[in-house]
Amino acid sequence: MLTIVINGKKVKAQEGSTVLENIQKLKIDIPTLCYHKELSPFGACRLCSVEVKANGKWQIATSCNTPVAEGMEIRTDSDAAKESRRAAAELLYYKYPETGAVRDVARKLGVEVDPKEAEGHDCILCGLCVRTCGEVVGVSALTFQDRGRGRDVNEPEIIFDPNACIGCGSCAYVCPTGFVKMETDGDRRIIWGKVFKMVPCPVCGRYFAPEDQLKYISRTTGVPLGTLTTCVDCR
Amino acid sequence: MFLVHTLHGIRCLRMDTVAFSSWNGKVVDNRTGKTAGKVAVDLPVPEGKAAAMMGWNGLVVKDSKADIPSLTFNYLKEARKISCGECSVCMIGIDRLLDIMDRMARGQGKKADLSEMREIVRQVAANSKCSFGQSALFPVLDAVKYYKADFLALIGGAKKLAGGAYGVEVTAPCMDACPAGLDIPGYIELIRNNRFDQSLNLIRRDCVLPGVIGRTCTHPCEDACVRRDMDESLAIRLLKRAAADVDLAQGGAPFGTPLREKDAKVAIIGAGPAGLAAACQLRLKGYGVTIFESLPHAGGMAAVGIPDYRLPADILSHEIDLIKRMGVQIKLNTKIEKLNAKALKKDGYSAVFVAVGAHEGNKIGVEGEDAGYEGFVDGVRFLRDMNLGVKIEPAGKVMIVGGGNVALDCARSCARLGFKKVEIIYRRSRAEMPASDEEIEGAKEEGISIRFLAVPVKIIAKDGKVVGAECIKMKLGKPDESGRRRPVPVKGSEFTVKTDMIIAAIGQRPELPALDKKVGTTSWGTVQVDPKTLATDVEGVFAGGDCVTGPATLIEALDMGNRAAEGIEAYLGGNAPAQRVSFKGVDLCKQRGRGLVIQNPAADVAFLDPKKRVENFEEVEGGFNAAAAMREAQRCLRCYRVVVWEQA
Repeated sequence: MLTIVINGKKVKAQEGSTVLENIQKLKIDIPTLCYHKELSPFGACRLCSVEVKANGKWQIATSCNTPVAEGMEIRTDSDAAKESRRAAAELLYYKYPETGAVRDVARKLGVEVDPKEAEGHDCILCGLCVRTCGEVVGVSALTFQDRGRGRDVNEPEIIFDPNACIGCGSCAYVCPTGFVKMETDGDRRIIWGKVFKMVPCPVCGRYFAPEDQLKYISRTTGVPLGTLTTCVDCR
Repeated sequence: MFLVHTLHGIRCLRMDTVAFSSWNGKVVDNRTGKTAGKVAVDLPVPEGKAAAMMGWNGLVVKDSKADIPSLTFNYLKEARKISCGECSVCMIGIDRLLDIMDRMARGQGKKADLSEMREIVRQVAANSKCSFGQSALFPVLDAVKYYKADFLALIGGAKKLAGGAYGVEVTAPCMDACPAGLDIPGYIELIRNNRFDQSLNLIRRDCVLPGVIGRTCTHPCEDACVRRDMDESLAIRLLKRAAADVDLAQGGAPFGTPLREKDAKVAIIGAGPAGLAAACQLRLKGYGVTIFESLPHAGGMAAVGIPDYRLPADILSHEIDLIKRMGVQIKLNTKIEKLNAKALKKDGYSAVFVAVGAHEGNKIGVEGEDAGYEGFVDGVRFLRDMNLGVKIEPAGKVMIVGGGNVALDCARSCARLGFKKVEIIYRRSRAEMPASDEEIEGAKEEGISIRFLAVPVKIIAKDGKVVGAECIKMKLGKPDESGRRRPVPVKGSEFTVKTDMIIAAIGQRPELPALDKKVGTTSWGTVQVDPKTLATDVEGVFAGGDCVTGPATLIEALDMGNRAAEGIEAYLGGNAPAQRVSFKGVDLCKQRGRGLVIQNPAADVAFLDPKKRVENFEEVEGGFNAAAAMREAQRCLRCYRVVVWEQA
């Protein structure tokens, strides 16, 4: 165990834990859009910024991807930290004014938000879908499209690889803004524009999973496909 | 103001008297006329005059009439292209700054816009994820602060945003250090995001042998890496290798094909890195290409100069195969003794690229080296014979003379061939040794000894066979023109060493084909070329690689191959070579804002056990798998630097 200082208070912290995890333990509420406890931190939304003392100087750092160190001093409630989180939310709201999740966070962080109802579902490039697909599902059908010298990408976006996708829908589940849409209708599921064939359970008749997903599970776990085509409730 | 000539022949204008500068955060303001003075700011601005420039580290104004709001607007537009959008503040912040300026230009600006701009810059710099976002917007802050009147004139409608001609350059400390200028942050970022195929495509734009270079490069990029002084440089070479390895494991993606075939054909002499790079690039441009190679294998020094334990032969042959599959003809065992441009023209070749390398070992100046003793050989000859399959009988003891990578390659090969004792003798000390650290460490682990500050002066032979060497001790004197301290013999310190074999590895020179007399050569026996186009003095004949530079690295040879292809294309009536801006003398690592960097040294790869590896020529160094490469790539700070200037 390490000892760290959060807002002047000494607390014990697990080695290898992140600043955000320790802040959350103290029930300090810091809203996030790109963080998920089951995924590697990414530092995209910049909403979890705090101040960390490094070389005697207070510096802004995103708490989700900053690991704790012995004696580390952290401030979540300083003007600079609060202003940094507010400014990040304000910029997100500037770019995605119609998106509910962004509006909620912005409002919470003190940004003046238009009280009119809005129904936007923009992709805010938080990368939750990309990380879920790569780290949890393990197929990496989603990737960032990045920019650099002479790469001529106008607007960065998430790239979908239909050949790798198994139609599991995890990306739609984690998406904070509702940008990733999944429609399941009887024997068909549509996600990222790709149509998947759903498998009916031979016992209860419910269409419960896409065929590609069951094949993938069978391939990676060695469980015969015949076992998997019966839904979990009826197995 | 003075002109500086660089290797690439691009003139850099250094601004030495300025109206205003905020470079490095140091403000010099001469506009009032009171403190008219000079300030030394080394800034890269290509040919022609720049009225003002804005870069990641500040604003520099030469001409007091320069239009700073328009420069700022154009700078932001270029910065927007490099901002990746992965963290929210940088890209959206730039968008918002551009929107504000656009509003000003349409006459809808207000005074409060300026304080808003300043606030956005501060927040973006403090809270961005990468070095680009943390540093790129500071000059905008300077512009708004020190050229406030100009911005107010824009808001008041007295001024408009001008179109004008703006120059742009994008670099990074690693990119600038790379002889071939690879977009290193770019391909690392693509690896980080699991887009290995795209990463390899980006690498191949400037480096047609990624698997080879990913194993053998001397990686000056890693020496320039900003992380070097924080924890450890990125493992850039190994990341490049990972992009190539992942591709090879999936079967090896082919190169692209030319969009349009062209009639002209080009002859290339030498299938080394320079020749292969030129061949590949010319083929992509649509030209027909034939390479003439004197040896039975293509690859040049990569094939016959580097042992298998550093570069497995199948990696090289795979990458050469891909180039052949593009339609490049390689005629092996075809030595061009005499180069006749006219005869080649008759055969349909419109241009020739001479890239024969430097495969002749230099004389070491010891008594007896020309006597033809059995057991005396030069280093490149030894490696060539070994790589071409000539059987080498291990003798008891071998002495290798020299301290460069060729000497190390010879020594470590001898250890594997079964020599009982392998010793390197080097006339200077460890500090001056030009071989790379990993090679020297690897050799030590394999039981190879290095005798410093000594040199052989006479070969001792019996019945025409080497049995020993008379040596003399050296001490270090004053630095010579290479900057290294010159070794001086210590009188009366002679000693004798028993040895069964001596390998002389103190440098190479080219063996040029008989060239037209008009082709200029140097006293080093290398070909003289125009540094920009690589054209020789004879029309249609170009040259590059080691036969121009003397023995250099593979990546330098690849770069010359790339540039020769551009020079040849221009000669054959195509596009002019792209202009490169030199950042020589500019500290690319310095930036005014820097986020918190968590200590996290580079990931290690596995090496073969030193005791086992000397038994064979298996590859010593392991590579990253995809997951390890993606993790290592996350360490990149993405130090892209954008510079935009207003042409005067």
